[in-house]
Amino acid sequence: MKRTILFVALLCAVPAFAQHKHVHGEGRLDVAIDKDSLALNLELPLDAAVGFERAPKNDKEKAALAAAARVLDAVPFAPGAAARCSLQSKEVRMPFAGGADRHDHAHEGEDHHADIEASYLFRCADPAALKSVETTLFKDFKRLYRLETRRAGPAGQGAARLTPNKPVLNW
Amino acid sequence: MKAVLLLALKSAWARRLTLGITLVAIALAAALLLAVERVRHDARASFAQSIAGVDLVVGARTGSVQLMLYAVFHSGAATNNIRWDSYAAIASHPAVAWAVPLSLGDSHRGFPVLGTTPAYFDHVRYADGRPLAFAAGRAFAGDIDGVFETVVGSEVARELGYRVGDRVVVTHGMAELGPEHADKPFAVVGVLAPTGTPADRTVHVSLEAIAAIHLDWAGGAPLPGLRIPAAQARKFDLAPREITAALVGLKNRADVFRLQRHINAYRGEPLLAALPGVALDELWQTLAMVEKTLFALSVLVVLVGLAGLTATMLAGLDQRRRELAILRALGAGPREIFLMLIAEGLLVTALGVLAGCGLLAAGILGFAPLVQAQYGIHLAWRAPSGNEIALLASILATGLAASLVPGWRAWRMSLADGLTPRN
Repeated sequence: MKRTILFVALLCAVPAFAQHKHVHGEGRLDVAIDKDSLALNLELPLDAAVGFERAPKNDKEKAALAAAARVLDAVPFAPGAAARCSLQSKEVRMPFAGGADRHDHAHEGEDHHADIEASYLFRCADPAALKSVETTLFKDFKRLYRLETRRAGPAGQGAARLTPNKPVLNW
Repeated sequence: MKAVLLLALKSAWARRLTLGITLVAIALAAALLLAVERVRHDARASFAQSIAGVDLVVGARTGSVQLMLYAVFHSGAATNNIRWDSYAAIASHPAVAWAVPLSLGDSHRGFPVLGTTPAYFDHVRYADGRPLAFAAGRAFAGDIDGVFETVVGSEVARELGYRVGDRVVVTHGMAELGPEHADKPFAVVGVLAPTGTPADRTVHVSLEAIAAIHLDWAGGAPLPGLRIPAAQARKFDLAPREITAALVGLKNRADVFRLQRHINAYRGEPLLAALPGVALDELWQTLAMVEKTLFALSVLVVLVGLAGLTATMLAGLDQRRRELAILRALGAGPREIFLMLIAEGLLVTALGVLAGCGLLAAGILGFAPLVQAQYGIHLAWRAPSGNEIALLASILATGLAASLVPGWRAWRMSLADGLTPRN
């Protein structure tokens, strides 16, 4: 058992220090709950949302970027209804949103990769009842296959994988 | 109906040897299935218990699972040390509520020795947020007078018979017969109450003590000709220069991801901050396949056991032709014969399941200390949980299905078939 654990530990020695893991089709979601606030932090490879990771070349690609931005602006997350959470603020950062010259400098050196970053802050009237968050991202982004979530809150910490078949994060 | 059951019971008793062996097979299979489920559940529970209240584990850059296993569970490969000033920088970060340094590497008769500060006993929580409690004595003093004081966990005290006031000698490294720091014995000043966490099996000393016992050591062995007695060791600068890892608690839990990024990007040296709960879940995610395989195997063993039941009963039918035919001649309908066989199958399965529970209980009582010592998993006997009851019920249901086959055969056997056997 101990050996198995060690062996597995080696296998899953994911370099957690890698600041920007970039896997196409895989998004990352950090969920932090403290008192009555619920903070969601989303990182998506641009490819998962629009199918390319460079500045848009034509009107069609520009439209795809704009459509993706609209999806994220519409808050694709729903905290459990019982907690009565309401959105306080959101911030969506789309790469290449302002055209090719406004290249997102945070990703320089990563050559052909680009990430969407979005964060949402909710306030909940009944935080004790907050037990789940559902996402609709998979419906809008067909190229997104999974969302690796990490959660920290009063119920402890945890990691879970959301997929199109399991779009609800429970704890 | 009652008469049928009584007949079934008596008939089964007449064939107690073959049925008994089948029963043993079913009992072993049920015990195995239950044990797999129980160990899986208890392993998760006892691992999760040990990390309550810790928001981040900080250490040298490795994998987060490895860091967590070593720092929290004292198992697995050691990681590199981190510098004291890195620790100090993290501890003074405005988002940090408390930080406790950990220094590992020495042992005492097979138990890990943990160098830390008295704050460890204030901040470390277990289970659902309970603080560590002292069964006897107190925490070691964090000052120079408390250098050679130690607090032992409940298991250490129990196994080695230590009480407050006893003297212990620390061994260098993890080998049970490694070189000893015999010149600098420690006085036990406190014994912790049992927690079911790795703290039970740990010898706690101050960070300064770890520095002090290695003053006259170099390269993993005592320096020949150099002896620094315990009393003089206090005069040296015992400020720790390196630690193995640190446990960090935050003022605001929501800061944990931000602080993790901050620590991982620390410029002084490569550091890794791991969220212990997330690292545990990652470990379970990778182990899920192993768990599922084990579970599938034990389900298969149960099926084999029940197939044995069907085979035994079918083979018995041939020998019982006369018995069944006489029962028919005396007025028992095919329905009663069918019921008799079902009752027999269910009886054997039910007894097997009961015996399996007994075996599991005995196994847990017998092996719990060993499992706790070797793997840090706290197994406790308790009544079957909802999951386990569902498993037991499904074994019974399968047992019922398994006895349908011989029941159906007996139903179909004609009266004449039994009274005039061809062989």
